[in-house]
Amino acid sequence: MNDIFYLAWRYISFNRFKTLTLVTCIALILFLPLALKMLLMKSEQQLMSRAVSTPLLLGARGNSLDLVMNSLYFADERPDSIKMQSVEDIYHSGMALPIPLYARFKSGDHPIVGTSLDYFDFRQLELSSGRLFAMLGECVIGAEVAERLGLSTGDKILSSPENLFDLAGVYPLKMTITGILKKSYSVDDKSVFVDLKTAWVIQGLGHGHQDVNTITDNETLLNRNKNSVTTSAKIKQYTEIDGNNLDSFHFHGNPSIYPLTAIIAVPTENKSATILRGRYLSSEQTEQLVRPQDVISDLLNTIFKMKSFIDAVVFIVALAMLLAICLVFSLSYRLRKNEINTIFHLGCSQGTVIQLIAAEISIILLFSAGLCALGLLALQHVQSGIVLRLFVS
Amino acid sequence: MNLLQRILLPIAMAGSLFSSQLPAAPTLQVATVNYPLHYFAQTIAGPHADILLPMPADIDPAYWSPTAENVGQLQQMDLILLNGAYYAKWLPKVSLPIFKLVNTSSDFRNAYIPLEEDVTHNHGSGGEHSHKGTAFTTWLDFSQAALQAKSVYKALAKKRPKYKADFVKKFIPLQDALQQLDSSLKQTGEALQGAPLIGSHPVYQYLKRAYQLNLKSVHWEPGTFPDDQQWQAFATLLQTHPAKWMLWENHPNEKTVAKLQSLGVQSIVFNPAGNRPESGDFLTIMQDNAQRLKSITSSSPE
Repeated sequence: MNDIFYLAWRYISFNRFKTLTLVTCIALILFLPLALKMLLMKSEQQLMSRAVSTPLLLGARGNSLDLVMNSLYFADERPDSIKMQSVEDIYHSGMALPIPLYARFKSGDHPIVGTSLDYFDFRQLELSSGRLFAMLGECVIGAEVAERLGLSTGDKILSSPENLFDLAGVYPLKMTITGILKKSYSVDDKSVFVDLKTAWVIQGLGHGHQDVNTITDNETLLNRNKNSVTTSAKIKQYTEIDGNNLDSFHFHGNPSIYPLTAIIAVPTENKSATILRGRYLSSEQTEQLVRPQDVISDLLNTIFKMKSFIDAVVFIVALAMLLAICLVFSLSYRLRKNEINTIFHLGCSQGTVIQLIAAEISIILLFSAGLCALGLLALQHVQSGIVLRLFVS
Repeated sequence: MNLLQRILLPIAMAGSLFSSQLPAAPTLQVATVNYPLHYFAQTIAGPHADILLPMPADIDPAYWSPTAENVGQLQQMDLILLNGAYYAKWLPKVSLPIFKLVNTSSDFRNAYIPLEEDVTHNHGSGGEHSHKGTAFTTWLDFSQAALQAKSVYKALAKKRPKYKADFVKKFIPLQDALQQLDSSLKQTGEALQGAPLIGSHPVYQYLKRAYQLNLKSVHWEPGTFPDDQQWQAFATLLQTHPAKWMLWENHPNEKTVAKLQSLGVQSIVFNPAGNRPESGDFLTIMQDNAQRLKSITSSSPE
């Protein structure tokens, strides 16, 4: 048997180009449907696991997919804002515990997520170093952010301006990193977490500036009377919050109307979830309460419908390729007619010739399967990134 | 003791007998932002909770600046009792778990008194705005203090339903005491018949409103002798508001007392007890305050 495989090996290694072409073609036929299936399984697993662990999501009425993708995966598509008052409404209903989210700003490529400390317990995120944010202007970063940017506790990270051309807009805020999260293999690894109030400072709803009552510079102080002080934009505004200027930071207006992108509602029991959902069904409501699981299921159904179509295309292409390969083999054996006759003349039986050809095909199939497996392994290594890029960004 | 209390007390006692047979829950960790809430929580919770007042005893808790370590300690608490009325100025600058915060004055949030000192400013971003607030010594209206104590009781009972009966048993006498103080001060307010009074510091807004005191405030510190400008402003105030008594947060220095006496103004202490006292407790301090205020009605200053 070893002699047969030796002869087959010698033949296919002599015809390298033909063998390589065949191996590549067969590997591709195997790889494409398996890779597609693997990516879809991974995406279903990734999207669903986070959706299932998020019972209810409250957001502005509109595109529920944008709401879910922004709140669960901090995707770029931002839903309309809702008011902070909704957090109190849910809390005082006694039916669910609200976790506010404000995922609007970025630091480079990384989303800045304004939330409450309860988010870390809810997602079971643990610190690998440092502590959670405690003061205004502090942040906690995901493991991948720390790795990619080479940051550690005590370092600073800057928020990115929303619009580069808005020269009169809010200054970027330099935040102090107080903790780094352990890897959770989710989008949390790529995010920067801040307290809601810090997110509102980034937006400009809260700010710190020099004391208006002590300004004497005429270029800065435009007008002062008993009830009012008017200053120019020259007034020194702080872009970093530290112990020296923390007391000067303040918020304006009614905090209950401050914006959020969503609220994760964790129902106290199943019955409460149903009652709570009923409250947001009216079309007059400006807010919607969705089950992320339902929204992601709809998305996956659409993807799976597309998968059936892609499967059909792959099947047809694979069939055409297989036929082409069969043709290559049959033409090859016709060309090798003299060689096979010589083998007969040397005293080999027809069975030996069949064994020789089967050994050649087996080696080619083995190499193809190996190449396909290598491709799948490589894909598995990068699939998390691909899935997030495909469905989230 | 009213009818409701007569019904509740036996139930509470029966409940406490039952609860004493249940396995003990871990001691509740409760933080408070001022001494009145600390006292209410300690009185109601008894041995079932450790009550923390995180700031040093020598500062006004409303203007305390916590460190990150202090905030870290507060983050570990089971319950954080807030006064509301924008009392804790440090609160917007720190990160605390929302579910653990309880605003004890939320039942009467519409009755907060806006501060008169309100300077607006404008510096380009955000339009015209002001750093206004509300008066925050809410507990000096003792009907409000009783509501705050009730809110403390409810929050504790929600966290430890097992000890609800024990909490009711402690809460009812506290509520009684606060209501008695309220009645007593209402009588004093009526007896004063609108006699002009001066407050040494703008902390008596709720006391003034609840007990119909004709009180105007200056901005003096008990330990500091006022400067000439302050005395001039005081003399001007006396022309339109001829007060014979001045209420102080703490004992004023002797020089100030003497000069006030020369102007025909007597000094009495009405201690808001925002921070833990050197001696006594919240109730005894407030009872002494009420007694001193009542003494005005029976004595006429020279």
